[in-house]
Amino acid sequence: MRIKLTSIMVDDQEKALRFYTDVLGFTECRDIPVGEFRWITVTSPEGPSDVELALEPNANPAGKAFQDAMFEQGIPVAAFEVGDLTAEVARLSAKGVVFTRPPMTAGPVMLAVFADTCGNLIQLYQPTP
Amino acid sequence: MLLRHDGFRRLCRARELLAQLDGPQPTIEALAREVRISPAHFIRQFEALFGVTPHQYRIQLRLDRAKHLLAAQRRSVTAICMEVGFSSLGSFSTLFAQRFGEPPSVYRRRIQAADLVPGCLTLMAGVPDRSFREAERRALHDTSGNQSRSPHAHQADEHHGG
Repeated sequence: MRIKLTSIMVDDQEKALRFYTDVLGFTECRDIPVGEFRWITVTSPEGPSDVELALEPNANPAGKAFQDAMFEQGIPVAAFEVGDLTAEVARLSAKGVVFTRPPMTAGPVMLAVFADTCGNLIQLYQPTP
Repeated sequence: MLLRHDGFRRLCRARELLAQLDGPQPTIEALAREVRISPAHFIRQFEALFGVTPHQYRIQLRLDRAKHLLAAQRRSVTAICMEVGFSSLGSFSTLFAQRFGEPPSVYRRRIQAADLVPGCLTLMAGVPDRSFREAERRALHDTSGNQSRSPHAHQADEHHGG
Protein backbone atom coordinates (compact mmCIF):
# COMPACT_ATOMS: atom_id res chain seq x y z
CA MET A 1 0.00 0.00 0.00
CA ARG A 2 1.39 3.37 -1.01
CA ILE A 3 0.26 6.98 -0.83
CA LYS A 4 0.36 8.23 -4.40
CA LEU A 5 -2.66 10.48 -4.54
CA THR A 6 -4.02 13.11 -2.24
CA SER A 7 -6.64 15.74 -2.87
CA ILE A 8 -7.76 19.19 -1.98
CA MET A 9 -11.23 20.66 -2.42
CA VAL A 10 -11.49 23.77 -4.56
CA ASP A 11 -14.40 26.10 -5.27
CA ASP A 12 -13.61 26.42 -8.99
CA GLN A 13 -11.53 23.81 -10.79
CA GLU A 14 -10.37 26.01 -13.67
CA LYS A 15 -9.32 28.80 -11.29
CA ALA A 16 -7.58 26.19 -9.14
CA LEU A 17 -5.66 24.71 -12.07
CA ARG A 18 -4.44 28.19 -13.01
CA PHE A 19 -3.39 29.00 -9.42
CA TYR A 20 -1.70 25.69 -8.70
CA THR A 21 0.25 25.78 -11.99
CA ASP A 22 0.79 29.45 -12.92
CA VAL A 23 1.26 30.78 -9.40
CA LEU A 24 2.52 27.88 -7.28
CA GLY A 25 4.45 26.30 -10.14
CA PHE A 26 3.08 22.75 -10.09
CA THR A 27 2.76 20.80 -13.34
CA GLU A 28 -0.56 19.72 -14.80
CA CYS A 29 -0.66 15.91 -14.78
CA ARG A 30 -4.22 14.85 -15.68
CA ASP A 31 -7.29 16.75 -16.84
CA ILE A 32 -10.12 14.34 -17.62
CA PRO A 33 -13.76 15.38 -18.05
CA VAL A 34 -16.04 13.61 -15.55
CA GLY A 35 -19.63 14.62 -16.11
CA GLU A 36 -19.91 18.29 -15.36
CA PHE A 37 -16.62 18.30 -13.45
CA ARG A 38 -13.03 17.35 -14.24
CA TRP A 39 -10.50 14.99 -12.75
CA ILE A 40 -7.55 17.33 -12.46
CA THR A 41 -4.26 16.43 -10.84
CA VAL A 42 -0.95 18.24 -10.57
CA THR A 43 2.52 17.10 -9.61
CA SER A 44 5.52 18.99 -8.30
CA PRO A 45 8.45 19.55 -10.67
CA GLU A 46 10.63 19.08 -7.59
CA GLY A 47 9.22 15.56 -7.13
CA PRO A 48 8.31 12.94 -6.25
CA SER A 49 7.08 12.84 -9.83
CA ASP A 50 4.52 10.08 -9.23
CA VAL A 51 2.68 11.69 -6.32
CA GLU A 52 -0.39 13.56 -7.55
CA LEU A 53 -2.51 16.23 -5.93
CA ALA A 54 -6.13 16.17 -7.16
CA LEU A 55 -8.08 19.43 -7.34
CA GLU A 56 -11.58 18.24 -6.50
CA PRO A 57 -14.80 20.26 -6.78
CA ASN A 58 -16.39 21.27 -3.47
CA ALA A 59 -19.88 21.11 -5.03
CA ASN A 60 -21.22 18.96 -2.21
CA PRO A 61 -22.59 21.37 0.43
CA ALA A 62 -21.04 19.23 3.19
CA GLY A 63 -17.62 19.69 1.61
CA LYS A 64 -18.14 23.39 1.27
CA ALA A 65 -19.24 23.73 4.91
CA PHE A 66 -16.11 21.90 6.05
CA GLN A 67 -13.90 23.97 3.79
CA ASP A 68 -15.42 27.29 4.89
CA ALA A 69 -15.17 26.39 8.58
CA MET A 70 -11.51 25.37 8.35
CA PHE A 71 -10.72 28.53 6.42
CA GLU A 72 -12.48 30.84 8.86
CA GLN A 73 -10.69 29.18 11.78
CA GLY A 74 -7.39 29.84 10.03
CA ILE A 75 -6.53 26.15 9.72
CA PRO A 76 -4.50 25.02 6.70
CA VAL A 77 -5.89 21.94 4.91
CA ALA A 78 -2.58 20.94 3.32
CA ALA A 79 1.12 21.54 3.81
CA PHE A 80 3.85 21.66 1.17
CA GLU A 81 7.55 21.38 1.98
CA VAL A 82 9.92 23.98 0.58
CA GLY A 83 13.71 24.26 0.57
CA ASP A 84 13.85 28.01 1.24
CA LEU A 85 10.76 29.39 2.94
CA THR A 86 11.84 33.03 2.85
CA ALA A 87 12.46 32.87 -0.90
CA GLU A 88 9.13 31.12 -1.56
CA VAL A 89 7.20 33.65 0.49
CA ALA A 90 8.87 36.48 -1.44
CA ARG A 91 8.22 34.79 -4.80
CA LEU A 92 4.53 34.15 -4.05
CA SER A 93 3.97 37.56 -2.46
CA ALA A 94 5.29 39.18 -5.65
CA LYS A 95 2.58 37.26 -7.52
CA GLY A 96 -0.13 38.71 -5.29
CA VAL A 97 -0.61 35.72 -2.97
CA VAL A 98 -2.12 36.61 0.41
CA PHE A 99 -0.32 35.28 3.49
CA THR A 100 -2.26 34.98 6.72
CA ARG A 101 0.81 33.94 8.73
CA PRO A 102 4.26 35.33 7.98
CA PRO A 103 7.28 33.02 8.29
CA MET A 104 7.73 31.86 11.89
CA THR A 105 9.62 29.14 13.67
CA ALA A 106 7.57 26.34 15.19
CA GLY A 107 9.67 23.60 16.74
CA PRO A 108 11.56 21.68 14.04
CA VAL A 109 10.21 23.74 11.13
CA MET A 110 9.77 27.25 9.84
CA LEU A 111 6.30 27.77 8.46
CA ALA A 112 4.02 30.29 6.77
CA VAL A 113 0.38 30.13 5.67
CA PHE A 114 -1.23 31.50 2.49
CA ALA A 115 -4.67 31.50 0.82
CA ASP A 116 -4.96 29.49 -2.40
CA THR A 117 -7.82 31.71 -3.74
CA CYS A 118 -9.96 28.56 -4.03
CA GLY A 119 -11.26 28.49 -0.45
CA ASN A 120 -8.25 26.97 1.35
CA LEU A 121 -5.37 27.97 3.55
CA ILE A 122 -2.14 26.15 2.73
CA GLN A 123 0.92 25.82 4.94
CA LEU A 124 4.46 25.99 3.63
CA TYR A 125 7.15 24.56 5.85
CA GLN A 126 10.90 24.27 5.78
CA PRO A 127 12.58 21.78 8.09
CA THR A 128 15.24 23.52 10.13
CA PRO A 129 18.60 21.81 10.53
CA MET B 1 0.23 40.78 0.85
CA LEU B 2 0.11 39.91 4.53
CA LEU B 3 -3.35 39.88 6.03
CA ARG B 4 -3.30 40.07 9.81
CA HIS B 5 -5.86 38.28 11.92
CA ASP B 6 -8.26 41.22 12.16
CA GLY B 7 -8.26 41.92 8.41
CA PHE B 8 -8.68 38.24 7.67
CA ARG B 9 -11.68 38.03 10.03
CA ARG B 10 -13.31 41.04 8.39
CA LEU B 11 -13.04 39.55 4.91
CA CYS B 12 -14.40 36.20 6.13
CA ARG B 13 -17.31 38.10 7.69
CA ALA B 14 -17.91 39.91 4.39
CA ARG B 15 -17.97 36.57 2.57
CA GLU B 16 -20.56 35.31 5.06
CA LEU B 17 -22.70 38.39 4.48
CA LEU B 18 -22.41 37.95 0.71
CA ALA B 19 -23.59 34.36 1.08
CA GLN B 20 -26.88 35.48 2.60
CA LEU B 21 -28.93 35.48 -0.56
CA ASP B 22 -32.33 35.84 1.07
CA GLY B 23 -33.78 39.26 1.73
CA PRO B 24 -32.44 42.65 0.67
CA GLN B 25 -28.95 42.55 -0.80
CA PRO B 26 -26.54 45.21 0.48
CA THR B 27 -24.41 47.01 -2.09
CA ILE B 28 -20.70 46.23 -2.16
CA GLU B 29 -20.03 49.71 -0.71
CA ALA B 30 -22.42 49.03 2.18
CA LEU B 31 -20.70 45.69 2.83
CA ALA B 32 -17.30 47.38 2.87
CA ARG B 33 -18.61 49.89 5.43
CA GLU B 34 -20.09 47.07 7.49
CA VAL B 35 -16.72 45.33 7.79
CA ARG B 36 -14.89 48.67 8.15
CA ILE B 37 -12.64 48.50 5.09
CA SER B 38 -12.56 51.20 2.39
CA PRO B 39 -14.42 49.99 -0.74
CA ALA B 40 -11.29 50.02 -2.94
CA HIS B 41 -9.26 48.05 -0.40
CA PHE B 42 -12.17 45.75 0.24
CA ILE B 43 -12.55 44.71 -3.40
CA ARG B 44 -8.80 44.29 -3.88
CA GLN B 45 -8.24 42.29 -0.68
CA PHE B 46 -11.32 40.13 -1.19
CA GLU B 47 -10.17 39.22 -4.69
CA ALA B 48 -6.64 38.42 -3.52
CA LEU B 49 -7.99 36.16 -0.76
CA PHE B 50 -10.87 34.43 -2.56
CA GLY B 51 -9.88 34.67 -6.23
CA VAL B 52 -13.01 36.60 -7.28
CA THR B 53 -14.36 40.08 -6.55
CA PRO B 54 -17.22 40.41 -4.03
CA HIS B 55 -19.66 41.03 -6.89
CA GLN B 56 -18.44 37.96 -8.81
CA TYR B 57 -18.68 35.92 -5.63
CA ARG B 58 -22.32 36.84 -5.08
CA ILE B 59 -23.19 36.12 -8.73
CA GLN B 60 -21.49 32.71 -8.48
CA LEU B 61 -23.42 31.80 -5.34
CA ARG B 62 -26.70 32.77 -6.99
CA LEU B 63 -25.85 30.67 -10.04
CA ASP B 64 -24.81 27.71 -7.88
CA ARG B 65 -28.08 27.88 -6.00
CA ALA B 66 -30.03 28.16 -9.25
CA LYS B 67 -28.23 25.10 -10.58
CA HIS B 68 -29.17 23.11 -7.51
CA LEU B 69 -32.81 24.23 -7.73
CA LEU B 70 -32.98 23.41 -11.43
CA ALA B 71 -31.88 19.87 -10.69
CA ALA B 72 -33.92 19.34 -7.54
CA GLN B 73 -37.19 21.09 -8.31
CA ARG B 74 -39.70 21.27 -11.12
CA ARG B 75 -40.49 24.98 -10.99
CA SER B 76 -39.97 27.03 -14.13
CA VAL B 77 -36.57 28.42 -15.07
CA THR B 78 -38.04 31.91 -14.76
CA ALA B 79 -39.29 31.27 -11.21
CA ILE B 80 -35.88 29.95 -10.16
CA CYS B 81 -34.14 32.89 -11.86
CA MET B 82 -36.26 35.30 -9.78
CA GLU B 83 -35.84 33.31 -6.58
CA VAL B 84 -32.05 33.49 -6.66
CA GLY B 85 -32.13 37.23 -7.18
CA PHE B 86 -31.83 37.91 -10.91
CA SER B 87 -34.33 40.32 -12.43
CA SER B 88 -33.59 39.47 -16.06
CA LEU B 89 -33.94 35.99 -17.50
CA GLY B 90 -31.61 36.98 -20.34
CA SER B 91 -28.69 37.96 -18.14
CA PHE B 92 -29.33 34.96 -15.86
CA SER B 93 -29.14 32.58 -18.84
CA THR B 94 -26.01 34.25 -20.18
CA LEU B 95 -24.20 34.18 -16.82
CA PHE B 96 -25.32 30.59 -16.16
CA ALA B 97 -23.99 29.49 -19.54
CA GLN B 98 -20.69 31.29 -18.91
CA ARG B 99 -20.23 29.48 -15.58
CA PHE B 100 -21.55 26.02 -16.42
CA GLY B 101 -21.10 25.79 -20.18
CA GLU B 102 -24.78 25.53 -21.10
CA PRO B 103 -27.94 27.61 -20.56
CA PRO B 104 -30.21 26.75 -17.62
CA SER B 105 -32.95 25.15 -19.76
CA VAL B 106 -30.42 22.86 -21.46
CA TYR B 107 -28.83 21.97 -18.12
CA ARG B 108 -32.21 21.06 -16.66
CA ARG B 109 -33.18 18.81 -19.60
CA ARG B 110 -29.82 17.05 -19.47
CA ILE B 111 -29.67 16.55 -15.69
CA GLN B 112 -33.24 15.31 -15.48
CA ALA B 113 -32.68 12.84 -18.31
CA ALA B 114 -29.35 11.60 -16.95
CA ASP B 115 -29.19 8.23 -15.28
CA LEU B 116 -27.27 8.00 -12.03
CA VAL B 117 -23.53 7.55 -12.45
CA PRO B 118 -22.08 6.18 -9.23
CA GLY B 119 -18.80 7.57 -7.97
CA CYS B 120 -17.38 10.22 -5.74
CA LEU B 121 -17.64 12.96 -8.33
CA THR B 122 -21.36 12.38 -8.69
CA LEU B 123 -21.78 12.54 -4.95
CA MET B 124 -19.82 15.77 -4.88
CA ALA B 125 -22.01 17.25 -7.58
CA GLY B 126 -24.99 17.35 -5.24
CA VAL B 127 -27.28 15.32 -7.48
CA PRO B 128 -30.96 15.54 -6.58
CA ASP B 129 -32.22 13.57 -3.61
CA ARG B 130 -34.39 11.32 -5.70
CA SER B 131 -31.31 9.96 -7.44
CA PHE B 132 -29.86 8.93 -4.10
CA ARG B 133 -33.13 7.36 -3.05
CA GLU B 134 -33.36 5.58 -6.37
CA ALA B 135 -29.79 4.34 -5.95
CA GLU B 136 -30.66 3.03 -2.49
CA ARG B 137 -33.75 1.32 -3.78
CA ARG B 138 -31.79 -0.23 -6.61
CA ALA B 139 -29.13 -1.46 -4.22
CA LEU B 140 -31.85 -3.05 -2.11
CA HIS B 141 -33.48 -4.64 -5.13
CA ASP B 142 -30.13 -5.88 -6.41
CA THR B 143 -29.24 -7.56 -3.14
CA SER B 144 -32.70 -9.11 -2.88
CA GLY B 145 -32.30 -10.58 -6.36
CA ASN B 146 -35.07 -8.52 -7.91
CA GLN B 147 -33.69 -7.52 -11.31
CA SER B 148 -36.99 -6.65 -12.92
CA ARG B 149 -36.94 -2.94 -12.20
CA SER B 150 -36.23 -0.80 -15.23
CA PRO B 151 -33.23 1.52 -14.92
CA HIS B 152 -35.60 4.36 -15.82
CA ALA B 153 -38.27 3.39 -13.34
CA HIS B 154 -37.49 6.48 -11.27
CA GLN B 155 -39.31 8.53 -13.90
CA ALA B 156 -42.50 7.26 -12.35
CA ASP B 157 -41.36 8.20 -8.86
CA GLU B 158 -40.73 11.86 -9.48
CA HIS B 159 -43.39 12.94 -7.02
CA HIS B 160 -40.95 11.85 -4.30
CA GLY B 161 -38.36 14.35 -5.45
CA GLY B 162 -40.20 17.62 -4.77
